[in-house]
Amino acid sequence: MKTHVRLVSILITLSLVIVTGSFAADYPTKPITLINPQAPGGTLDIQARAFAPLAEKMLGQPVVVINKTGATGMVGGLAGAQAAPDGYTLTVGSVNIPNAIEWEIINGRKPPFTRHDFVCIGTFTMSPTFLIVPPDAPYKTLADFIADAKAKPGQLAFSSGGLYGMSHLPAEIFARAAGIKVRHVPYTGGGPSLTAIVGKQVDFSVNYPANTLPLVRGNKVKPLAVIGAKRLKSAPNIPSTKELGIDAEYYGWVGILAPVKTPKPIVDKLRDVMKKVVEGKAFVDIIEQAGDEVYFLNGEELAKYMDAESVKIAKLYAEMIKETSK
Amino acid sequence: MEVLSNLFSGFQTALTFQNIYLCFIGCLWGTVVGVLPGIGPLAGITLLIPATFGMDATGAIIMLAGIYYGAMYGGSTTSILMNIPGESASVVTCIDGYQMARKGRGGAALFIAAWGSWVGGTLSIVGLMFLAPFLANVAVKFGPPEMFALLLIAFILLGSLGKGSFFKTVPMILLGLLIGTVGMDQLTGTMRFTHGIKDLYDGIGFIPVAMGAFGIGEILISTEESLVRFVSKVKMSELLPSREELRASWGPVFRGTGLGFLIGLLPGSAHVLASFVSYTLEKRLAKRPEEFGTGRVEGVAGPETANNAASESAMIPFLGLGIPTGPAPAVMMIALLIHGVRPGPLFISEQPQVFWGLIASMYIGNVILIILNLPLVGLFVNLLRVPFRILFPIILLICLVGTYSVNSSVVELVILLFCGGLGYLFRKLDFDIAPFILAMIIGPTLEMAFRQSLMRSAGSFSIFFKSPIACTLIALSCLLFLWNIYRALRPKKAWEKALEEGE
Repeated sequence: MKTHVRLVSILITLSLVIVTGSFAADYPTKPITLINPQAPGGTLDIQARAFAPLAEKMLGQPVVVINKTGATGMVGGLAGAQAAPDGYTLTVGSVNIPNAIEWEIINGRKPPFTRHDFVCIGTFTMSPTFLIVPPDAPYKTLADFIADAKAKPGQLAFSSGGLYGMSHLPAEIFARAAGIKVRHVPYTGGGPSLTAIVGKQVDFSVNYPANTLPLVRGNKVKPLAVIGAKRLKSAPNIPSTKELGIDAEYYGWVGILAPVKTPKPIVDKLRDVMKKVVEGKAFVDIIEQAGDEVYFLNGEELAKYMDAESVKIAKLYAEMIKETSK
Repeated sequence: MEVLSNLFSGFQTALTFQNIYLCFIGCLWGTVVGVLPGIGPLAGITLLIPATFGMDATGAIIMLAGIYYGAMYGGSTTSILMNIPGESASVVTCIDGYQMARKGRGGAALFIAAWGSWVGGTLSIVGLMFLAPFLANVAVKFGPPEMFALLLIAFILLGSLGKGSFFKTVPMILLGLLIGTVGMDQLTGTMRFTHGIKDLYDGIGFIPVAMGAFGIGEILISTEESLVRFVSKVKMSELLPSREELRASWGPVFRGTGLGFLIGLLPGSAHVLASFVSYTLEKRLAKRPEEFGTGRVEGVAGPETANNAASESAMIPFLGLGIPTGPAPAVMMIALLIHGVRPGPLFISEQPQVFWGLIASMYIGNVILIILNLPLVGLFVNLLRVPFRILFPIILLICLVGTYSVNSSVVELVILLFCGGLGYLFRKLDFDIAPFILAMIIGPTLEMAFRQSLMRSAGSFSIFFKSPIACTLIALSCLLFLWNIYRALRPKKAWEKALEEGE
């Protein structure tokens, strides 16, 4: 019966919120919206939706995740950057945001927003990607794959969740480190990109553990390597590129950002709540069940990491552009 | 037989008091969400995710799935009564559904829509139950070249959607395509026709355009008639479809089921595609296609069945492989993940209780929905008795609030009102609105599929001929196109002339 009481109470709360707009009390006094700039079902979505109900318990207000997709996250990112800095509209940030900004800058355009439009709250995870191929592909090891790709330069194609996004760059970084030439087909989001590899529409793909591991277990895709420094706890038998002697590393972080002018007390409260939720057992369990590992960076650490990474990515883009214009 | 014993154990799960209750709540909320323009099934599910935390995974997915397919029942209501599509999948229902309502057959239209939804939904679950793992594997094979070929056919069908001439429909399609290009390019991030207006970065939304062109346009045109027009008291006989109407709806309902089920497997805007392909199919098959658009029951029965069938088969890639192909199944998958159930290729064998419980609950849910919806027909039809001078401001208010509630954007309100004016103009000039809206929804997907295909093949068009599915579909679309031209040019037969003169 408890369930039903909860349900009714939530419905009543919702109706009240819709009717009155807000209640009079300290922050938060009305529902908080988390803008997810990526398609539903992707890595960001799983983490944000795991976070929302737990944060809701601590904040005492509904935390609602909405998806505002398009242009590798720029559409949602822009909405988040321009939201009123009152702590009621936050952005599910990811490595995509600084990437997209660098892409605009390198193309000589003024980005619609920069990472300085945001103040960092913290991260949920920082995960490497798997390089995956169809299970019946003729490759046993990563070396086989690289050999084949070298034998037919520019013929193998890979799917990604969007141009210059978080599942395009690791493939690009890997291809450079391994010295192979491959072709890119962007899809709209991590889910469709996985569909493409499961349906053998492309030859290989990279994707994050949470999305990939269930498919690995069901023998729908075969992972050849982890693009990073270390093996993953959840897949101890998959070698990392570093141990195979390929210097490719890329981590997709997912976290929360707020508009830069958000008042300090609200930012502090959000950082505090986020740390508690992310390090709590409930959140860790969900993330691990989903095949990921929690990796918490606090706001300041994340800001520093973003700054350092942006420089590297800007260099990579410059190279990519030089190559395509040749 | 294994399926039957699994289904039996599924019913044991679904028939507990708690699960029936959750299924009922889901269906009820789904109906509400479907009826209200502006709030779609996606928002409906997302809002109730937090409410599932005290439940087990089976209960949670039963309720959320109920919202999803329940919304497809409600979507036709405002289309039929007010000419405002409640969901994008109910755009075509506006064409004949609203005309039926104007002729006093609104009750019958609502009844047929509910009945078709029930048949489509229930038969689709049978398909889902037997074929989920198999079809999931087929669905992922459907890549960009195949998608492009299918949408090409859809576009040629669009040309024959309108009741007006081919030459009046084509400009509307082109206009829809043009509006569909506005916004940030999905593949490169380039801005197109945004003129620095930030609200346009996301493209022009379906809701303000559809509500404006259909809803507000309708109000404007109606004010030219008379505001003191009263609808006569609705008799019981008008609530129920006549025997003739029921007979006419059989074919569309069953064809709509098959069509919807197949199209639902595809990624993207499958419901929209399913409903409008079903409409054009019925129009093609009809003995008197020119009567479509004047309130034919087939034009309601087909699409409303198809979108329900599609909503259930859209869950196949998600249940069979753990890859959601649309936003609503994606959110349901997240709900399962949060409860520690990871959908994937092994989901059905590892979590039979959840899967079969869900299947059984969907049978129950469809029964609940039809019981819920049929009595509502009487209630909704009473809305038509409200004098127009009161009803119109209310519709206007619904359009404004519905639009604003989605993105809280003032620019979208301007678009809404502008499209209202546009819709009025189109009606005056006798242009059809449905092809315009549908082109706007499908156009970007078509463009995307085309460009992805060429990116895969490094610019070579041979990719469209290497895939047998794509090749067949493209050949079919060429034939359809040629046939359209032939039909437009051939001399008219004697009976057709007689008919035209008779009008």
